[in-house]
Amino acid sequence: MKPAPFHYVAPGSLAKALELVGDEARPLAGGQSLVPLLNFRLARPATLVDLNPLEDELAGMREGAGGVLRIGALTRQAAVERSALVAERWPLLRAAVRHAGHPQIRSRGTVGGSVAHADPAAELPAALLALDARFHVRSRRGERTLAAGEMFVGPLTTALEPDELLVEIEVPPLPEGAGTAFTEHARTHGDFAIAGAAAVVAPGRAAIAVLGAGPAAVRATDAERALADGADAREAGELAGALVQEGPRRALIAALVREAVEKA
Amino acid sequence: MTLVGRALPRREDALVLEGRARYLDDIDPTGGAHATFVRSPFAHARVGAVVAPGDAPGLVAVLTAESLRGRVRPLPFQVPDGVTAADEPHPILADGEVRYAGQPVAALIAESRPLAEDAAELVEVDYEPLEPVVDARAPGVDLVEFRRSGGDVERAFASAAHVVRGTYAMPRLVAAPMEPRGAIASEEDGLLTVWCSTQDSHRAVAHLAHSLDRPPESIRVIVPQVGGAFGSKGGAPAEAVAVAAAAIELGRPVKWAEDRLENFLAAYQGRGMEADVELAFDGDGRMLAVRARIRADVGAYLLQATAVPPHTAGMLMCGCYRLDAAEVEVVGRRTNRVPTGPYRGAGRPEAAYFMERAVDDAARELGIDPVELRRRNLIAEFPHTTPLGFTYDSGDFARCLDRALELVRPERSDDGERAVGTGVGLYVERAGGRFESAVAALQPGGRVLVRGSTSPHGQGHDTTFAQVAADRLGLEIADVAFEFGDSAVVPPGIGTFGSRSVAVGGAAVAEASDRLREACLAAAARVLGAEVSWDGGALVAADGRRLTLAELAEAEPGIGAEARFDSDLVFASGAYAAVVEIERAAGRMRVLRLAAVDDAGTIINPLLAEGQVLGGVAQGLGECLSEAATFDDEGQPTAANFADYSLLTAAELPPIETAFVESASPLNPLGAKGIGEGGAIGTPPAVANAVADALGHGVDPPFTEDRLWRAMRT
Repeated sequence: MKPAPFHYVAPGSLAKALELVGDEARPLAGGQSLVPLLNFRLARPATLVDLNPLEDELAGMREGAGGVLRIGALTRQAAVERSALVAERWPLLRAAVRHAGHPQIRSRGTVGGSVAHADPAAELPAALLALDARFHVRSRRGERTLAAGEMFVGPLTTALEPDELLVEIEVPPLPEGAGTAFTEHARTHGDFAIAGAAAVVAPGRAAIAVLGAGPAAVRATDAERALADGADAREAGELAGALVQEGPRRALIAALVREAVEKA
Repeated sequence: MTLVGRALPRREDALVLEGRARYLDDIDPTGGAHATFVRSPFAHARVGAVVAPGDAPGLVAVLTAESLRGRVRPLPFQVPDGVTAADEPHPILADGEVRYAGQPVAALIAESRPLAEDAAELVEVDYEPLEPVVDARAPGVDLVEFRRSGGDVERAFASAAHVVRGTYAMPRLVAAPMEPRGAIASEEDGLLTVWCSTQDSHRAVAHLAHSLDRPPESIRVIVPQVGGAFGSKGGAPAEAVAVAAAAIELGRPVKWAEDRLENFLAAYQGRGMEADVELAFDGDGRMLAVRARIRADVGAYLLQATAVPPHTAGMLMCGCYRLDAAEVEVVGRRTNRVPTGPYRGAGRPEAAYFMERAVDDAARELGIDPVELRRRNLIAEFPHTTPLGFTYDSGDFARCLDRALELVRPERSDDGERAVGTGVGLYVERAGGRFESAVAALQPGGRVLVRGSTSPHGQGHDTTFAQVAADRLGLEIADVAFEFGDSAVVPPGIGTFGSRSVAVGGAAVAEASDRLREACLAAAARVLGAEVSWDGGALVAADGRRLTLAELAEAEPGIGAEARFDSDLVFASGAYAAVVEIERAAGRMRVLRLAAVDDAGTIINPLLAEGQVLGGVAQGLGECLSEAATFDDEGQPTAANFADYSLLTAAELPPIETAFVESASPLNPLGAKGIGEGGAIGTPPAVANAVADALGHGVDPPFTEDRLWRAMRT
């Protein structure tokens, strides 16, 4: 479990990093997913571009214009977990991130890394999907912004091009009167989720992202519409469960969505 | 105040907690090279040419079966009494055929481990894939066979008012010690020194001597600090033999520190047994006889102790019950999977699970409360010889059961959303047996140094054994030091496994300490020219003259004593009880609480004993909730890392109540039995029976939401 040989570069600026990344030069953020893949020799990039020296440019959380939360891609998951701003205004992120691995993993793992790695069982992408987050992406070619629905394409696959870096995540404020909750089922605490649900429930509208229903987190739109029309948590759960075929997974998703809606 | 019976904290903890303990990978001999292995990607294949790279950065040597021919022999294997075993030992490196994914095919020796792994990618192996055997239930090749019966089984079943039948299975498990395996070998002046992360030096010496075909006197095995074993480090693995052969060939030290992936692929696994159990009852619910057919998935080869767990499972199929007759038939079937071997319990959890599930099924069929059915049939008089021939030395099974029920507070309900049930699981386990030895010496300065033949890897020998020795010598615990694990230093013995260290090794320490005391008395009498008596750390003559141990050591250097202790098997026992809650809609289960009552005879240190119980419970619960070493239809392991194989964390542990019943063993001077495995033995049947109580019928572990959801709908 030693990685194949690779070149290591630690650029001094984001601009420099953008010149380097590409097909054969992969960015290294917290390394909590990439390093195991390197050690298994499942990932064999010629070059690793270490983003960790770029904390000044890429890490940190702040409230932006219009009451949005702006999260630098290199912000550690532990920082989200401990942020008073997040706890008060976007408690769903805090609830979700606490399921991401163990404290040691979260103190190194980054929000942007979790998004860009796009593990189908990852909690943060699901929460960001339910929160209608937007993703600011940069490359030598320019900048673009992706909606959550566009970002997550499949297991370990995002809409990011090889030469692009995710630089910032923008989370809109919660709707008036919204409650949120995150539920998941894993074999053990800190383990990859078998299924999970992120719920934002407000008067007249709801957003529910489901983990474990497909190759990436998905929005349970039928359940969202039904909730907006006054359905109860159990009905919402059953509609969300219908994202998958009849069986134990459907029952589990239904139970988790029901719990999330009840708690939200 | 005596030390035995006191809950003293482990005195070895500071070293470990402060990071000063030296594990195998902390040792780097000067001039050492590093080994890695090319491992089979196929579960079954014919192996043609193995072509080593002509050159690669840092590459020192490549070993194959071809290059080792004539220099190594396959690993030896043990055949328990009455067992028939096929001659299918594990080769050091695959020779013409690979039989499991992960089997070592070639060893790469390089200047560093990463360079060795780089070079390993350049080795070309010509594999011709063959059909793998992936189902131990399908007809196939039996590597292990064992049959035994006692009493008139035919008559018992013919005369029975009720015969209850069931089939029960335990999945394969990974021992997953925190520190994987490893070995460092170095030869100088004809002495081969091997540092090995193993449970004791004795078996490693024997295995290396066999496989390298050299006298055991020419081999020194040093066991450094070992980060857990749970049975999975019994002796020398094939990789250690390869590393030793490489060190001998190259004339320089060679190190192999196993990584986690290798440990998942190639360290022997545990459990993987299934049984058809039949119980015969008379009209009053008295158990007359048991008949069991046990099928073990033993994997591809017979490793040193592969045959032991199936044999133990068979021999323990009488459980805690008074029976007129018993018959067991055990087959260990060859599959294209890594071999199995001892894992915490090693046949005992399987037997307890099979028997206790069957008793609960019988209770449901006979309409008798499962606790009541047990009470009617418990063995109450000791010693008791089972129809299969084990003699239980002492115990109080009924008291253990009473206490477990008291502690667990049984509960049963079902509101349509959540079903709650309570289950009990009794066990009796073989422990102790054979021999161990100890050498005690009075050191300059008056301290005592004891060398024990069993060896710690987390159990706390340094504390418990010191309590025993210091008591015998009337000393403070700090005045007694221990050395373990270096074959050049420790006296002969068998090793640390099967809950035997205290009962046999501890008894040897007690006797060596007694003899040292006699030797000191005799020496002091010579020095003082008078009869002396023992007064703590001093020897006192009738006229009041005193000689401290320090003075005695100076006056007569080299006072020492040794003892060898032989013992028949002792039998620890216990009763476990659990309450579980199952969500009917989605099948999620929670263990609400668990009670663990163990009778390990006299408890030397209740704190450490409870630690052993809790650790065993955690592993037993892991087996119930999340663990299973699974394979696909090609024989590929599908849970070969910690993302796919979930070990429990502290967060999953329910409230656990523990208690001890102390039925002293008459077979050793300490009255001790064994406590290392009880938690792993008693927990699965208790939880499984609680699940069955909640659902009205049984299911095999692991009790995942998927499995319970299906079980509630069939």
